[in-house]
Amino acid sequence: MVEVKLHDVGEGMTEGEISEFLVQVGDQVKIDQPLVEVQTDKVSAELPSPVAGTVKEIRAEIGEVVTVGTTVLVLEKEGASVDNDEQPEGQPKEKSALGQTKVQMKISRHQPTKNTHRVLATPYTRRIALENRVDIEKITGTGPAGRVMDDDVYRFVKGEQEAPAASVAAEPVVEKDTASKESTLPQTPAKTIPYRGRRKQIGTKMTHSLQTIPHVTHFDEVDVTNVLALREELKAEQGESGSTVSVAAFFIKALAITLKDFPIFNAILNEEKQEIQLQDAYNIGLAADTDEGLIVPVVKSADQKSITEIHTEMKRVMKLAKENKLSKADLTGGTFTVSNVGPLGSVGATPIINHPEVALIAFHKTKKMPVVRNDEIVIRSVMNLSMSFDHRVADGAAAVAFTNRFAELIENPTKMMLEMV
Amino acid sequence: MKTMADVKTNKLTLVQAVTDGLRTMMKEHDDVLVLGEDVGKNGGVFRATDGLVDEFGEDRIVDTPLAEAGIIGTSIGLAINGFRPVAEMQFLGFIYPAYEQIMTHASRIRTRTMSRFNVPMVIRAPYGAGIRAPEIHSDSVEALFTHMPGIKVVVPSNPYDAKGLLIASIEDPDPVLFMEPMRSYRSIKSDVPEEKYTVELGKGAKVTEGDDVTVIAWGNMVAVAQKAVEKIEKEQGVSCELLDLRTLYPLDKDIIAESVMKTGRAVIVHEAPSTGGVGNDVLSIINDNAFLYLRAPVEKVAGFDTPIPFFSLEEDYLPTPDRVLKSIENVVTF
Repeated sequence: MVEVKLHDVGEGMTEGEISEFLVQVGDQVKIDQPLVEVQTDKVSAELPSPVAGTVKEIRAEIGEVVTVGTTVLVLEKEGASVDNDEQPEGQPKEKSALGQTKVQMKISRHQPTKNTHRVLATPYTRRIALENRVDIEKITGTGPAGRVMDDDVYRFVKGEQEAPAASVAAEPVVEKDTASKESTLPQTPAKTIPYRGRRKQIGTKMTHSLQTIPHVTHFDEVDVTNVLALREELKAEQGESGSTVSVAAFFIKALAITLKDFPIFNAILNEEKQEIQLQDAYNIGLAADTDEGLIVPVVKSADQKSITEIHTEMKRVMKLAKENKLSKADLTGGTFTVSNVGPLGSVGATPIINHPEVALIAFHKTKKMPVVRNDEIVIRSVMNLSMSFDHRVADGAAAVAFTNRFAELIENPTKMMLEMV
Repeated sequence: MKTMADVKTNKLTLVQAVTDGLRTMMKEHDDVLVLGEDVGKNGGVFRATDGLVDEFGEDRIVDTPLAEAGIIGTSIGLAINGFRPVAEMQFLGFIYPAYEQIMTHASRIRTRTMSRFNVPMVIRAPYGAGIRAPEIHSDSVEALFTHMPGIKVVVPSNPYDAKGLLIASIEDPDPVLFMEPMRSYRSIKSDVPEEKYTVELGKGAKVTEGDDVTVIAWGNMVAVAQKAVEKIEKEQGVSCELLDLRTLYPLDKDIIAESVMKTGRAVIVHEAPSTGGVGNDVLSIINDNAFLYLRAPVEKVAGFDTPIPFFSLEEDYLPTPDRVLKSIENVVTF
């Protein structure tokens, strides 16, 4: 038997990642035939077979990081009936010393990503791309010989980046970085949605939305003191054993009620049929910030659910979203979307509508503020909200009336009682 | 702060400003002395020491034999022993016999003796083409000296700086090569204060402020670049920031980096051959500090990689305002 060990394929490497096996157990191999591809920090190298023979055993897995000297594969030498002819890492090294190394180095500067291409761009333009965290290689240049110009980057940023940033204002830049690093790391495919893929989808969707829908955003503030107090009251009553209903569940309930009053915002614009289709289901999409990016699970029939049920359903879909386990049913059928960025901070945004829906509302940070009530200054908890709507379908006045009604319900939670199913 | 309006000034040429600087320092310090070929009775080949021998005597304005290594070697000895010699090379191109003295002694004595001794000497050397001098007289070999740690290289481009930089060089505790652009000796006159003042070594100057491109030059090339800058500003509205580096070693990294970060484009102008020239060091500063601000490759307008030709071709060798202008156009339209 001959053990094929990982040897130093580059100067001073200590470990490498198995990226591909080029043979299977049972394969006949010739001397110098590449057996396995190893990725190190700098190079991707193929380990050649030191002997002719048969692959008896594969001792490493794809994605495994193995240290130099580890046996990766075991061969049975051709014609050797029984021998203990060990061919350690010495052999290729000797060859290497003779200048006949068969290690085929493929210098790969990046992890192999198939669609990258070298782009022309000045350093200044590259800096703009860098600062906006866009991959310049994905941008089509309009300059001389296809050079990417400053404007190309700005256009790209507008199309693909502003979208997620605005609607979930939620995405801390640092996280994106981590995600992008992770996507290039080896992971078992069952668990992973490639970073690029999700981002790309988000980008395409947001671009489409922004390019086809004339967005208008208006801002308002809502006094949430009473609803917070009510929640505290319920919490106290429930005792330690009971689960606490989130404020967001109240918001969703209030929205469902408000949407019934203003069905134009619970609609879909079918451009093909030239129809505004008012929906009779009140399915509220929740913009969720996950490691892979923005995703919008849907709480179905919010109008028919109690606040507790809404809360439970929200928790369920958010949990699945974080685990990336949402089913297609959880992701479709939305009629209106909410982006709750309050817990993360932010005082305003211009959220991008979840096409083909008609409107989207973002809830921002709640702050204690001095406000005037009955000619007296009192401290109240006030939350900002931003509502974007499709100006083709609805007008500003309707949107303002919508948020006024929503505020009315939130500011007087008892009024909501009257509307409960 | 004093302004030029508060001080008494004279309109001087660059070479007169050099004489004025020497006179100022010699009056103030007995340990300053001048030595070189024909610097005494003859007043120097360019009259830079004109009249000094009558004023300070032959003990302090010393005519030397025609032996550059001897002039520099003597100066080093004087400097180590408490004098502040100002040695004149008739032309920078004559400095080669003294190169060994400069390289192996002047520039290293401080290091060799761990600062027990230093060499406070100045080597004045007219340099540069454009005055129809014979072979070797016109060499612009600043790079030979910027590559030599331990010696500062200073190049004024105007009379005011010439006096201020020369005084600062004489006051400097270490050897300074003070290069005087021959072509600018008498072509510019400007107000030079009568009193003593210094221009700090190692600091460049902004000749003009601008937004679109940084043009970097020194010595006589500042005047050449200025013509190009004025022309392109006037005719094409390109706003140029012209830097005069004034000291080539150590280079003023900050002024270069800040300006290129602002404009995003740069053109370097020098008359020395392109290969191995100081322009490459400027490029490296831009690369290290302002790379991500560049909107175009940096262009270099330099002499050619040949010895400076005889006068019939001299003007073809030297960078011209047109060549500079062409490069500015290239970088702004890249």
